[in-house]
Amino acid sequence: MTLNLNNFPPATIPDHAEALRSDVKAFIAEQLAGVPPHIRARTWSGFDANFSRAMARRGWIGLTVPVEYGGAGLDAFARFVLVEELLAAGAPVAAHWIGDRQSAPLLLHYGTEAQRRDLLPRICNGELFFCIGMSEPNSGSDLASVRTRAERVAGGWLLNGQKIWTTYAHKSHYMIALVRTSGTSDDRQKGLSQFLIDLSLPGITVRPIMIGTGDTDFNEVFFEDVLLPDDALVGTEGNGWAQVNAELAFERSGPERIYSSLVLLDLWARLLGDTPDPLDAGRLGRFVARLAPLREMSVAMTALLAKGEHPITEAALFKDMGTEIEQQIPVEIADAVAQRLDGPHDPELLQTLAYLMQLNHVFSLRGGTREILRGMIARGLGLR
Amino acid sequence: MSDDTDTALLVEGFRRQLAALVTPAVIREIEDGASPQSLWASLDETGFVDAMLPESLDGAGLDLAQAFPLVLAAGEHAVPLPFAETMVARAMLAQHNVLVPAGAAIVLAGRSALIPCAGVAGHALLDRDGQLVLVACSAAGSDLFRTRSATGIHVGETLATPAASDDGVLLASAAVAAALMAGAMTRVMEMTLSHASDRQQFGRPLGKFQAIQQQLAVLAEQVLSAQVAARTAFAGRGFDATRVAAAKCRANEAATSVCNIAHAIHGAIGATAEFDLQLYTRRIKQWQLAFGSESYWAERLGRARIAARADTTADFLRLHLATGSA
Repeated sequence: MTLNLNNFPPATIPDHAEALRSDVKAFIAEQLAGVPPHIRARTWSGFDANFSRAMARRGWIGLTVPVEYGGAGLDAFARFVLVEELLAAGAPVAAHWIGDRQSAPLLLHYGTEAQRRDLLPRICNGELFFCIGMSEPNSGSDLASVRTRAERVAGGWLLNGQKIWTTYAHKSHYMIALVRTSGTSDDRQKGLSQFLIDLSLPGITVRPIMIGTGDTDFNEVFFEDVLLPDDALVGTEGNGWAQVNAELAFERSGPERIYSSLVLLDLWARLLGDTPDPLDAGRLGRFVARLAPLREMSVAMTALLAKGEHPITEAALFKDMGTEIEQQIPVEIADAVAQRLDGPHDPELLQTLAYLMQLNHVFSLRGGTREILRGMIARGLGLR
Repeated sequence: MSDDTDTALLVEGFRRQLAALVTPAVIREIEDGASPQSLWASLDETGFVDAMLPESLDGAGLDLAQAFPLVLAAGEHAVPLPFAETMVARAMLAQHNVLVPAGAAIVLAGRSALIPCAGVAGHALLDRDGQLVLVACSAAGSDLFRTRSATGIHVGETLATPAASDDGVLLASAAVAAALMAGAMTRVMEMTLSHASDRQQFGRPLGKFQAIQQQLAVLAEQVLSAQVAARTAFAGRGFDATRVAAAKCRANEAATSVCNIAHAIHGAIGATAEFDLQLYTRRIKQWQLAFGSESYWAERLGRARIAARADTTADFLRLHLATGSA
């Protein structure tokens, strides 16, 4: 395989999906009225259960989940439109984000009928929030080395081990975790399975990790002789690695990989006024020029996902470039702002900028590091 | 011509003819000063130079999007004559019922530090005093990249002044340059991937080293995004300033990393006259200097973003820079 323009066939968002946009815009305008940019800049890191439930009441969680399971039965394009609007405005979507983006599609694809009937309607109505248990203290980029283990016992599975960097585990109801069910770390991708873990079960301890900004979105999660019921297994025992990989195209192809600094960019652009100096106009234009083909790629991948394809290499290429510009926007706006020693410096702009300057260096870590992604692209180019 | 399969077949036929006609040896002969006449006659004979003319004028009636792969292919083959430029110029003139002299090679001469192919063309399309103008011309000044370009042109007889044009020729020039760059970068990527598999150091192919793999991944990213940006500039009925600005800005930015990485992986041999890589990278560098740099187009794009008064940049991208908005 090689990578060329055919991997991103030109695609247009169909009218039925575009039709959703004005309703979403109106909803956001109402819900986010008065919320300042430095709060909105949190976007998909911002957790607000009330906001998520308001979305659920509109039928906007689980947009692609079939109606019989409580979803809206719409396609990937409709979800693209919804998500693009939410992220561009900086809506606090974290509470339902993982469940909507990954867990629901995963359960739909690999879950049993009973799991689907039980969980999907509650994800869609904003009752259940999900987190993902992947990383462990000794398993970061080398995910296949996970050591958390589930052993078959009478009546289910006994889970022991530890996950880390689990975003919003302390506010979630369920974790979907990748754990070892047979063999050892030396067996690598073999012997891994995915489990649905009810976080209220005995033996589970969630401990927050505070980062330098004072935020506590991340957690360590400890499992000590946690008895999971039989039906906690998701999909097939031993098939966890393939199942996790199938999620990656969903996780890496969306607008969240290009819009994380958009609230800052648009605040700065607004403050430039109608007649920016050539240097600032040029900075703004370069951001736009880099974002434009990336949005095209994201729409193209949405079309592929809608057809049931899994553009995993394409998504890696897109995410690597997308997070680069998300990181670069605060860098160059900081450069522009502090070039003027005597200001004027808008206080809200400074606060929004400072928030992103303290986080932009980690944008390339979440969802697969730069080096891992580039390795995947190299494989796509036939080099591995 | 509307059927996708027909267009794909047409493009395939064109690529085969280019591969036969425009060999590296032919490119070198023309760079060394040989007459372009015989290659131009062969290219003209393929009929593709009229591909964008309506079928009533014996063209294939291709729209911009359908013609885009032909321009990309011309870039991939480093066609040393203004094939893509002439194809687009003929289409622009035909819209105003101007038929150009048979066999004329036309350069798109938007405002620029240099005009690619000016040394091998007898005609130019210009924006002059608010008018679209077809003139007879000859090269003036230097051929900075040994590509038969020129830093200027002597303008001769005015042959047609069919329509008003503020910067229509500049937009067409930059759009075609962005697509030719994307094509040439595609070839540079293929050559670099193949060199990385063939060349052995420390007992294994270069492409097996992680450090090289990571660079090749970046190369692919840059090429793909320049291709997508150029395709968007060819999405509408005509060349739109905002989409052209994004395409040329992105192509110019990508070109720097693409050439750096490709030459780094080839080593010194890639820059030698006898090796083909430099045929493509020299042209890419020439186009970087032609029809506006990344800063020129970025400034225009930034001003367009502000003038549009979009609520968010996402709105601006969707309404002005998406394939679907064309």
